[in-house]
Amino acid sequence: MLNTLFEAFALISTWEVIIAMFAASVYGLVIGSLPGLSATMATALLVPVTFYLSPIAAIATIVAASTMAIFSGDIPGALLRIPGTPASAAYADEAYAMTRKGEAELALGAGVWFSAVGGIAGTLSLMILAPPLAEIALSFSTFEYFWLAFLGLMCATLVARSSPVKAIAAMFIGLLVACIGIENPGGVPRFTFGMTDLFGGIEPIPALVGVFAVAQVMRAMLTPEPPPIPKRKFGSILAGQWRLTKKYNVQMTRGNIIGIIIGVLPGAGADMAAWVSYAMSKRFSKEPEKFGTGHVEGLVEAGASNNASIASGWVPSLLFGIPGDTIAAIAIGVLYMKGLNPGPTLFTEKASSMYAIYLMFIIANIIMIPLGIIMIRLASHVLRAPRSSIMPVIMLCCAVGSFAIGNNMFGVVTVAMFGIIGYVMEQNGYPVAAMVLGIVMGTMIEQSFVTSLIKSDGSIFPFFERPIAAILAAMAIGALIWPVLVWGWRRFKRAAAPAASAG
Amino acid sequence: MRLPDRVTGLFLVGLGAAAAYGGWQLPPVPGQPVGPNVFPLVIGTGLALCGLAIAFGIGHSFEEEEELIPVEGEQANKPPPGKLYGLRALLPPALLLFYVAVADRLGFIITAGLIVFVTSTALGARPKLSLPLAVLAPIGIHLIFSKLLRVPLPAGLLPMPW
Repeated sequence: MLNTLFEAFALISTWEVIIAMFAASVYGLVIGSLPGLSATMATALLVPVTFYLSPIAAIATIVAASTMAIFSGDIPGALLRIPGTPASAAYADEAYAMTRKGEAELALGAGVWFSAVGGIAGTLSLMILAPPLAEIALSFSTFEYFWLAFLGLMCATLVARSSPVKAIAAMFIGLLVACIGIENPGGVPRFTFGMTDLFGGIEPIPALVGVFAVAQVMRAMLTPEPPPIPKRKFGSILAGQWRLTKKYNVQMTRGNIIGIIIGVLPGAGADMAAWVSYAMSKRFSKEPEKFGTGHVEGLVEAGASNNASIASGWVPSLLFGIPGDTIAAIAIGVLYMKGLNPGPTLFTEKASSMYAIYLMFIIANIIMIPLGIIMIRLASHVLRAPRSSIMPVIMLCCAVGSFAIGNNMFGVVTVAMFGIIGYVMEQNGYPVAAMVLGIVMGTMIEQSFVTSLIKSDGSIFPFFERPIAAILAAMAIGALIWPVLVWGWRRFKRAAAPAASAG
Repeated sequence: MRLPDRVTGLFLVGLGAAAAYGGWQLPPVPGQPVGPNVFPLVIGTGLALCGLAIAFGIGHSFEEEEELIPVEGEQANKPPPGKLYGLRALLPPALLLFYVAVADRLGFIITAGLIVFVTSTALGARPKLSLPLAVLAPIGIHLIFSKLLRVPLPAGLLPMPW
């Protein structure tokens, strides 16, 4: 144990890792603070760069950039009322109200401080939860993996802030995309329409870049430019944060726990965590009437929550290759490329690499405090960069980055196509995160499904015979019929209400 | 691009049916009950059912209206967008396809310069900003990706000295 820890220290104390981490932190802070550029997009555009780094340095960039970007989305939220990333949207109004009351320092300080606390809590959950779960997962057969993947997909559709039917449809679209290529049980070209470029299937990373980056540039074409940030001098950022920590430690802990749980659930990420925690904070608050008028309590809870979900999102990713959120979906792609294939054996065979990941998360969350304060002070300069100078550079990064993934032009075509698909889906209320999850997990779910069917000789009973498989199956089927029950209940209530009032 | 649920739903029914039919046509693995045809069949059927449900408006009540944060000021005095305004959204993917089509012939620097210029102008930049950007951004990206990361970017008509 101690030996592994030393090995992990040795792994991360190389210049390559340190420089990669620092550069990725600055990059994450800048991208996260620019409205319209999300943390997922920041991470997706980093992937081509990670090709040329050592495995640990590659993961370091992703860890650092995603952690920083989630925090720095709070900055324009507080100063302009425009969230920098969707994860800050839940409390942008509240933070802006505080700025109007002259408490910008307190709002931004709470952002950086409770983000760091949340990130460390999330990392602790990763350290505590993952190894024992890996122990259990070692005995999993294809039946368990099938139900687990199925459950993951169902979770992703349940938590989407949209119609569950549309979420399930989006997931099916993703699975259908994963069907393309010759990597299937028969090894025959499937849905390739005779195009050799499609034989290898659709790579998840260009699809992600298309859905999250190109679609965002497309939206920017139709939305007005956000106003420039007013220049202002900041007082001490961290003053009063310790007082807040003591005053709101229940809220902070609750935010951490909610964030961790939502992070572990596949498909639900930081934005969901922030919405749920903000709502919870309001419901359980002693002074709910103050919410919306510039009250720091909700900020504490939601800020602690969204960063906690980032680290805990890695738990299912590292164990099963099931992404906890869209950022983890990208991380899985990078892990595969770097020979750190997700699975329970990762924790026994590559234990030092796992410890290195924990350490990097903790370091990233600690250096977030000084770097975040610098970023807050520089924000009025960074945010002055007009959108018309940033979006073209993003476009070039999309083109070059997707080309670099396979050194062929088909990657660029994929990015363009998924830009359109992502844009149209988003406009019509189909959650793209569910589709992304389908693309990433498609091959895995098909393999476990078909192998299980072959083992069981076409019968479905073995799917429920092993105890863990039966539990997972029950949960998955429950998740499937839950929306139907809710829908029926609402119908029933609506039908009952007029009858009651009439009688 | 906001389409009625009926349209997207029926499109999904068609897509699902096509996928299921396409899966059905695939050759099975000899001597085995399940092959590459099973999964598309399941997915296609599921997708078609979802499409039907969407077309009939099931689950619509779950949809939350997107919270639009209004941008203060100068919203009122904008001219109303024309009919073709919505098509501007297609510009980014079109430019990417343009890159695929001509990058090998024109080379990275020229193609990228054109893309930057068009994107930035479309977003409302004056030539004072977009012209220097169109020169500098491709060179910067070329430096990072070609020199540092060794991505073989097409040289074309204007090779870089490094």
